[in-house]
Amino acid sequence: MSSRKARAPEQPADLRAEREQFVRSFLHKGVELTEDLIRENQSLDQQVRQLQDENVQLRAQLASNDAIRELLQKIEGLERDRKALLNRSSELEREFEQRSELHAEVEHELNNLASLYVASFQLSGTLSVGRVVRHMCELLEQLVGAQSFVIYIVSADGTRATAVGARGMQVPTGSLQIEDSPLGDVCLTGVGRVLEPEQPRKSGEPLAVLPLVFDGEVVGVISINNLLPHKRGWANVDRELFKLLSAHGATALIAANLYAKEAGPRAALHDVLFHLENERVRQLTEAESEAGGDV
Amino acid sequence: MSGYACLVVEDSPMMRQLIVFALSRIKNMTVTEADDGIVGLKKLAQTRFDLIITDINMPIMDGLKLVRKIRSDERHKDVPVIVITTEGSREDRERAMALGASAYIAKPIQAPQVIETVKELLKIG
Repeated sequence: MSSRKARAPEQPADLRAEREQFVRSFLHKGVELTEDLIRENQSLDQQVRQLQDENVQLRAQLASNDAIRELLQKIEGLERDRKALLNRSSELEREFEQRSELHAEVEHELNNLASLYVASFQLSGTLSVGRVVRHMCELLEQLVGAQSFVIYIVSADGTRATAVGARGMQVPTGSLQIEDSPLGDVCLTGVGRVLEPEQPRKSGEPLAVLPLVFDGEVVGVISINNLLPHKRGWANVDRELFKLLSAHGATALIAANLYAKEAGPRAALHDVLFHLENERVRQLTEAESEAGGDV
Repeated sequence: MSGYACLVVEDSPMMRQLIVFALSRIKNMTVTEADDGIVGLKKLAQTRFDLIITDINMPIMDGLKLVRKIRSDERHKDVPVIVITTEGSREDRERAMALGASAYIAKPIQAPQVIETVKELLKIG
């Protein structure tokens, strides 16, 4: 009992303290809770801001990716254009090369034709024996590039040759026996004999022997002994010049020689009508005899 | 450009014709021909030329003498001169160059070589 009595006054105080304790604890917890909530709120707020930042970054990245994609597409397009241009450029380069080659060929041909024209023009442009021989020499020297050569006329029986012009050596005097020699062979066959400069030759053997032919008959020969040092071999145009010399040289020499006996150009033509008539009669006679033969 | 005037001094009609043919391939080129050095000098006294082409071996007055005369004349001392030589005559070529020739072309001449040399000397593109 006494302890009950002793404790009685303490009970309300305990309760109060307990209540106060509870209230304090409650309030404390409330504060803590509030503080937690505030912290959480702040953290969430921070997260939201972070997310917003990330969002902005992601959007920017997306936009940048689009731009990159667009740029890549452009680059691809430009690359295609570049390849097309390179192809076109190669094509044009090939075309240009082909045209250059063609141009060089045309130039070369033109040069050859000019040489042939000049040679023919000069040979046919005179009726002086001396000038014909000079032109023949110049043609061989200047256009062909022959260093030493002799131009011969052949005797009626074709066994002897007499020099009428030469360059790079003395004009041989008197007439030469040409049978059984390269000159004689060419005289006999009417076919030129042209060796290559690097081909081995016997001592004194000419590099080329060319016939001067008129009406199927060899009237002269040209013997080329050497070419100019810088001329390594024959060019195609040289062979054309040989053909021209062979035909036109012979004609020019014969014409000039016949003309030398005439008093002048008009006098040289005085019996043209007579010769025309003679030719006409001969042709008629030949035609009649052919017709008679057919019957 | 109104054109170019060229004097060709060469005794061989064949060579002259070939050189004239080559020069005719150059636009606006007019050519005067002379068959020896004396005739060439007469033409030079009458006309102003942009270029002179001369053979070395010529009768009456040879190309070397002509080059010397050209270079000693105030009016023509700067005119380009091309000499035509034979390949073997190195001495002639060297003498011509020493006398003031601007270039040389060796025989047998080729039209493209003449055109190229002339264009180079006249600075034609």
